[in-house]
Amino acid sequence: MDIDDLLAEVTADAVPQQQRDLQELTRAWIAERVAPELLPYPAELMERVLERIRRQIELVEDQTGNLDPKANFKLIIIQTELERFKFLVRSFLRARIKKIDTHPLHLLALHQNPPSSTSILNPLLSPSELQYLNTHQSLLSTHYSSSFLSQFPNSLQRLDDTAGGISMVDKPDEETAVFVRCLRDVGEVWVEGTDNRFQMKRGDVWVVRWSAVRGWVGEGSCELI
Amino acid sequence: MALPLPPGLTPPEIAFLCEMELVTVIPRQRLEGLELLGGRLPPLNPPHRTPLPLWLALLLKRQRRANILPPPWLAPHSLTAILDHETNKEEGFSPPPRLPPLAASSTALAFSPPFLASSTAEAAPDALPYHWLEIGEMLLEAASDDFEEPDSVRKLLRGLREVRMAKLRKGVELLYADGGIQLNGVGAMEVSEGRAFVTGVIDNLRKIGASREQQRKDRDREDRENGYPSTADYDDDEMEMQ
Repeated sequence: MDIDDLLAEVTADAVPQQQRDLQELTRAWIAERVAPELLPYPAELMERVLERIRRQIELVEDQTGNLDPKANFKLIIIQTELERFKFLVRSFLRARIKKIDTHPLHLLALHQNPPSSTSILNPLLSPSELQYLNTHQSLLSTHYSSSFLSQFPNSLQRLDDTAGGISMVDKPDEETAVFVRCLRDVGEVWVEGTDNRFQMKRGDVWVVRWSAVRGWVGEGSCELI
Repeated sequence: MALPLPPGLTPPEIAFLCEMELVTVIPRQRLEGLELLGGRLPPLNPPHRTPLPLWLALLLKRQRRANILPPPWLAPHSLTAILDHETNKEEGFSPPPRLPPLAASSTALAFSPPFLASSTAEAAPDALPYHWLEIGEMLLEAASDDFEEPDSVRKLLRGLREVRMAKLRKGVELLYADGGIQLNGVGAMEVSEGRAFVTGVIDNLRKIGASREQQRKDRDREDRENGYPSTADYDDDEMEMQ
């Protein structure tokens, strides 16, 4: 550990939580907009951000009656920033809902039986997303069965059939190419099924398959761009 | 409710991101410090230079409450030097700005653009940051009177953009199914413009070669289970493919 590292540690600790949360939220938003599959819901981060937004809205409501021009300008700044945050949160959640709508049954299965690599702290779906998925799915299947599925023979009525070796449940394509930036040296990356191995170093930007870098993105050594 | 946009950021979203970059302003009016959601806003005391996020700097500029100090890499002589380098270098973009030292502990959050302060008055003069094109355009539009020679800056930015786009287009020849293409120094807008094409080509090439790859994957998996490479099979497969 040299002096640079020591300095870095001091400065990293000195960065206030608010600024770190903005970086994390921005990163989560970009990742969700770019990644082919749904990423785990950052529950703690969202809780902190939503709580701060709630307090800021209360502050704005309190001060709106203030007619002093100086206070008025401050309020404009606060409101502009508030709208920017709300846009981030909204766009993030909407990007997630799009993925939930596209692959509902696949996500439900993943949420109930998470692969061992995901941590218990961050489940795939938030409680309200899970509720949305379940309600939406039950509405859809009731609608299907009342409008046409009930006319079919019993063996053809399922929505998650796997007969003939082909599953009816759609999955996202995990091999899609993504743009990724390394935040730390991660060493050798290997694209499974090919001879392609390369070193990824801090600051590098690569176009690579999602499946090859998913782990690094999850633990924060790489970010999607 | 669901977002009707394809994967990848759209240009307005990139502009939104870029507005989080810090720039240096010279305030003309006092303003007390404010508690904002993204951290504390430093108090403004004219004529002390203060780093502010771009969205706020533009707001203050539009109301003539502040002047913006363009980053050193947006000066004509810096841009000329970068453009020369970019034109003479056959492959790859000019290198991005040097990264700040990284926290030693592996759990610490690593910051990345637009939170790296690569466009303040103290930024490096010899490298284009990730959001170079957007910052340049936005500052020229809203604060062209803060530049000494806005027209030559505009001309140089256009030149840079053309040289770099030509490189990105030329790089298309290198695309292949494995992915694994290095694009160090690429800009946010360039990623956005190239994304659909680059990922589309890679994905489709992959689908064409999918069966061969599956074969290879199965063999690798078998080798791992056996604990040794089955060299005989390997040669056979190679023969078939030829």
